[in-house]
Amino acid sequence: MNHQVFDNVLGLGCGVVVLSAVVTLWRHSLIAIIRALAVQGVALALVALTLGLHGHDRGLEVVAGLVLLAKGVVVPALITKVVRHDVASRETDPLVNVPASLVAAGVLIFLAFAASRSVTALTSNAPGRLIPFGMAAMLIGFFALATRRKAVSQIVGLLLVDNGIALVAFLATAGVPLIVELGASLDLLLITVVLRVLATQMRRRLGTVDLDGLAELHD
Amino acid sequence: MVGALIGVVAAAAGAALPKRWRVPASASLVLCGCLTELATSIRVLATGSDAHWHSIDLLPFTGVTLLLTPLGAIFVVLVTVVAVPATLYWIGYSSHGASARTTACNYAMFVTVLLIVPAAASVATFMFLWEMMALTSLALVLTDQGRRAAARSAGVWYGVITHAGAAFIMAAFLLLASHSGSQTFVAMTSHARTLAPGARAVIFLLALVGFGSKAGVVPFHVWLPRAHPEAPTPVSALMSGAMVALGVYGIVLFGNVLLSGGPVWWWLIVLALGGVSALFGSLHAVNSTDLKKLLAYSTTDNIGLALLAVGASGIFVATGHGRLGALSLVAAVFMLVNHAMFKGALFLVAGSVQVASGTRDLDELGGLLRRMPQSGALFLVAAAAICALPPLNGFVGEWLLFQSLLQGVNLGSTAGDIAITVSVAALALAAGLTIVAFVKAAGVGFLGRPRSPGANDAREVAMSMRVGSGLLVVMCVVAGVAPMTILSAVERAVRAALPRVGSRSVVRGLQLQLVGARGVLAPTVLAASLAGALILAVSLRRALARRRAVRVVEAWGSGRELVTARMQYTATSFAEPVQRVFDDVLRPVRDVNVSHVAESRYVIESMSYRSRVDDGIERALYAPVIKVIRRWGQYARRLQPGSVHRYLAYGLAALVVTLLVVAVAG
Repeated sequence: MNHQVFDNVLGLGCGVVVLSAVVTLWRHSLIAIIRALAVQGVALALVALTLGLHGHDRGLEVVAGLVLLAKGVVVPALITKVVRHDVASRETDPLVNVPASLVAAGVLIFLAFAASRSVTALTSNAPGRLIPFGMAAMLIGFFALATRRKAVSQIVGLLLVDNGIALVAFLATAGVPLIVELGASLDLLLITVVLRVLATQMRRRLGTVDLDGLAELHD
Repeated sequence: MVGALIGVVAAAAGAALPKRWRVPASASLVLCGCLTELATSIRVLATGSDAHWHSIDLLPFTGVTLLLTPLGAIFVVLVTVVAVPATLYWIGYSSHGASARTTACNYAMFVTVLLIVPAAASVATFMFLWEMMALTSLALVLTDQGRRAAARSAGVWYGVITHAGAAFIMAAFLLLASHSGSQTFVAMTSHARTLAPGARAVIFLLALVGFGSKAGVVPFHVWLPRAHPEAPTPVSALMSGAMVALGVYGIVLFGNVLLSGGPVWWWLIVLALGGVSALFGSLHAVNSTDLKKLLAYSTTDNIGLALLAVGASGIFVATGHGRLGALSLVAAVFMLVNHAMFKGALFLVAGSVQVASGTRDLDELGGLLRRMPQSGALFLVAAAAICALPPLNGFVGEWLLFQSLLQGVNLGSTAGDIAITVSVAALALAAGLTIVAFVKAAGVGFLGRPRSPGANDAREVAMSMRVGSGLLVVMCVVAGVAPMTILSAVERAVRAALPRVGSRSVVRGLQLQLVGARGVLAPTVLAASLAGALILAVSLRRALARRRAVRVVEAWGSGRELVTARMQYTATSFAEPVQRVFDDVLRPVRDVNVSHVAESRYVIESMSYRSRVDDGIERALYAPVIKVIRRWGQYARRLQPGSVHRYLAYGLAALVVTLLVVAVAG
């Protein structure tokens, strides 16, 4: 793979990761949000695969396959099942409304680039310069976590944070060790399963999957 | 350092063994550890050469540095003086609810740490051991917390004050270490001389507050009357006799060793703190009715006296009267050793009384001398020792201190002269109040008639408990009759602490001859003549009584046939005249409730009278602070309303702020 193609494909993957993160803030429909998450997973796998092919790293290619399977297919499918049971499958009333969220996302992306200036200054190759994208995805995920009401959008936020961290890891160190990546993916899978149970229980007990309902448990 | 190893094994034994073997195995291992450390420290004191031990692996980054100097060695001896009898006592006492796994393990750890704290010779080692000492003793204070709310409250007070104190000590150490570029005491000592006077003063004051809080000096004394009564008895004895003395060790370590002495005003502060503590402690001891609380206040009193002597010593050295300074410091350390002996004995007997009668309240005790003759006799002797009656050890200590102060009223420094003169008066008043307090404790508790069924049914306690307290009382007598060995050891320790002051020993054969002042005391001769006089009096009485027949009649009951326990002086009524004299200082809360019969206002149906003496310093100093903290706590509750989103937003905000800082700074 020549350098030009490598740089372009890598840039495309990172761009899609950030763009899909912004899409999760933009859309109301939970199904659309999950789809954006799936796209992000695929883009992440693409980045890993590109890096693996370029660096002739067989381990990273395997990781790319696993990422595609876990983040691109299995986790979104599991979350989709939760949403299917929910009648009102829309993020109707976020704590920060959509236009303001998009502005905030812009500010966060700017912050990510500003903060990682010192890191990008160290390196001249393509992966190093793309690190801010991972950070931006992570910050947007955190923002979604803090402002979205539905349990499903919360877990999507958490997965965005994880994807952002994974992207930084791929770009900065040419991939975390296989075993660490496996462990992290397994954790997320577990969290997703827990979310399914929690969402089912919440619906049964409180009649809603709105997280603010939990505040009533506070004394 | 073998002793420390044995101590750790003892703690493990306490934690692991089944209940039947736990306490005996752990206690005997602790005793082995104590004796090993005692042997090491005696060797250090006899030869004057330090024992050194260093390990890189035990603590990460810094390693452990232990260096037992003669000054440290005398404090190791002091710890063993209490630890050995207290551990013996524990064997018998453990059947009364002090045999749990955590108690056994913590007790062994506490004793072990106490034994090696005086040998710590680097900042990391010292702070590690110091905090271990605080934590294990805190856990021991909380032994009874499941059943008693007072124990929980005591734990909170003790925990907060001891940790605040540790923070001050840490700050002092860090300032000193950052200047010298090394964290070992030896390097710090050699660099401290080049420090600016202001920095030296700040370091000393920080250390004074930190160690003062551990020593229970006014105004940091508030934890003593709470924690000492609630801890299991052997632990109260160790805390009061040994741990509190290590607070004074810390002040001497900083003032005399690490900073190599300082200007007069430092020591004036120490002297004033000591004097105020002595007066305050003895005054409240007079007014306490809880036996262990009385002893705890009396600890503040005794530590105050020792600190007064330390302050006087500093003033003497700073004004160029080195020999007098050495004498005062000898008096201070000797008084601490004495205090370990008699206060240890008093706490152990108080614990026996509590076990036997189920109460510590003097107003419910009485007549115990007849029911527990051996423990009672031990209490009386120990009380005589704390009242500084010859021929016991308290007398020799106070004699040394009085002599050094009286010789030092003409120093040539006006402030010093006035301070020393005033402190002589304070010392005399405190000594007098101590006598009142212990006449009350011994008289109301052990003489007369029992005031409650519990006291009436009291029986003599287990053998090991009597042996434990008896051992301490024997030490009191030996240290009073023949103090020469201990004094020589103390002098060697003081010489190590004040290396630039040439001093000769006060011990001259069987006499104590003051150095740098006139004054001779021959304790052995004094004891012998007292014993002779006693024998003479007894035999004279025998001889005279033989001539006349002895007539046995009923005691005169003021014209009444029936004498009840309620006609006796109570602890409260005995203290009332003193309370009246010091009314303005103590400000007792008196409450009289009169209820009348419904038909007439002239006929009284019932009257109740309540009188309580609160700790004035606690009320004035701590109550406002607690109020403010509580209010802030209420504000802090608003930060956590239970909304998941709010918590997540906190996280996001923290992350964004961090990144902003990175963005701006990078």
